[in-house]
Amino acid sequence: MGFSIIWYLREFIRGEWLKNFFFAKTAPLVDPPYFRGYPALTGKECTHCLSCMMICPTPGAIEVLREGETWTPHIYPGHCIRCGLCVEACPEDVLDVGRVLETQHRDQTEISVRYQVTVKPEACVRCGNCVVACPVNKEADPQLGATGTSANDEVIMKIRNGNLWVIHDEKCTGCKTCEEVCPTDAIAIARVAEGTQEGKA
Amino acid sequence: MTDLLQKLKNAVRSRSIHVAYVDTGSCNGCDIEVLACLSPRYDLEQYGIYVHNNPREADILLVIGCCTPQWEDKLKEVWEKIPEPKAAIAIGNCPVSGCVFNREGGYVNPPVSKHIPIAASVPGCPPRPTEIIRAVLSLAPTIFADYEEKKP
Ligand code: SF4
Ligand code: SF4
Ligand code: SF4
Ligand code: SF4
Repeated sequence: MGFSIIWYLREFIRGEWLKNFFFAKTAPLVDPPYFRGYPALTGKECTHCLSCMMICPTPGAIEVLREGETWTPHIYPGHCIRCGLCVEACPEDVLDVGRVLETQHRDQTEISVRYQVTVKPEACVRCGNCVVACPVNKEADPQLGATGTSANDEVIMKIRNGNLWVIHDEKCTGCKTCEEVCPTDAIAIARVAEGTQEGKA
Repeated sequence: MTDLLQKLKNAVRSRSIHVAYVDTGSCNGCDIEVLACLSPRYDLEQYGIYVHNNPREADILLVIGCCTPQWEDKLKEVWEKIPEPKAAIAIGNCPVSGCVFNREGGYVNPPVSKHIPIAASVPGCPPRPTEIIRAVLSLAPTIFADYEEKKP
C-alpha cells in the first residue's frame, strides 16, 4: 500500500504538506538572553575617574570624552572585546551590559585598584629624585630634604642610611612621576586590580 | 516582462547566498563562530546561505583575521576569483583593528579594507553566530538586487 504511486500522490497534494513545502518559515534569529553586547550608557553621571579606561584590556576600546559640561564614556566596536570589565570597574554604574550590573549588585562584588612600587636595588643610585618628585610625598612632608631624606614616616618612600625605602606604597596614586624622573629606570609602578566580594575574604 | 524576470532573479538570489570564508591570521575564535552557524542550533541553510570554500562558487567572502603579510597578495587573488556580484564581510575585531595581534612588534597589517573592498563588518571578539547570519542576510539583498541594471 505504502509503495503505490497513488498513495504518494495523495500524500503530496494534501493542503498541509503543500503549505509547509512552499511557505516554510525559518526560525526567528534571536540573540540568547545571556548575550553580552557592547556596554551601553545607563544615564547615570560620569565623574571622569577613568577607572573604566584603566581596567580595559584592549587598546583603543574605550575613551571618556567631554561633552559640554559632562563626561561620557565612548566604546569603539572593532576594538572592544565585550569583556564587561569597564562595567564592573565603574564606581558610578555609568555603563551596563547584559547581566553584569545585576550580578555585581546581587553578589556584591567590586574591583579595587592599588599601585605597587618596586625598586630594583642593583639599578638604583639612591639619588632621591623619585622621593622629591612624588606629589604625595610633597603633601605628606613639606620639609622633604633635597636628597630624598625625611624625618617623617608618612611619605611613600625615602632615603635613609644610604638606601631607598618604600614604606607606604598604598598611598601611591599611580601618577608615574617617579618613573619619569628616575635616571636609571630603577623604579617601576605596577597597577594591581583585585576583585573582592563583600563579606568574603 | 524584464521587470518580472528581474524580480524573480532578485528573489532567488537573495535566498541562495553562497559564502566562502578565509582566515588571514586570527586566533580561530571567529572561525569557530562561523562554523557554529552550520550547527543545528543556528542552521545556516534554512536562511538560504550555503558555505562553499571555493571562491569561484561564492557570492560573499567572509574575511577573518588581521591580514598577515603573507596574505596581502593572496587575499586579493581570492577576492578577484569571486565572480560578480560579490561582497566581502569582515568578521571580528581583527580585520577592523588587528585586535590582540596589533601590538608593538606584531607582524600584521590591518585593516583588511586596505587590501580588498569591505562591504560590512561584524565587530566582536568573536561575534555571535546570530550577528554573522544577520549581517549576511541584510547585506545580500542590497548587493544582489537588480544587479543586471546596475552593471556598468
Ligand atoms: S567591555 Fe572590555 S574591552 Fe570593551 S571597553 Fe569595556 S573593558 Fe574595554
Ligand atoms: S564611566 Fe565610570 S569608570 Fe569611567 S570615567 Fe566615568 S565614572 Fe569613571
Ligand atoms: S607613581 Fe606618583 S604617587 Fe606613586 S610613588 Fe610615583 S610619584 Fe609618587
Ligand atoms: S630616582 Fe631612581 S635611582 Fe634615584 S633614588 Fe629613585 S629609584 Fe633610585
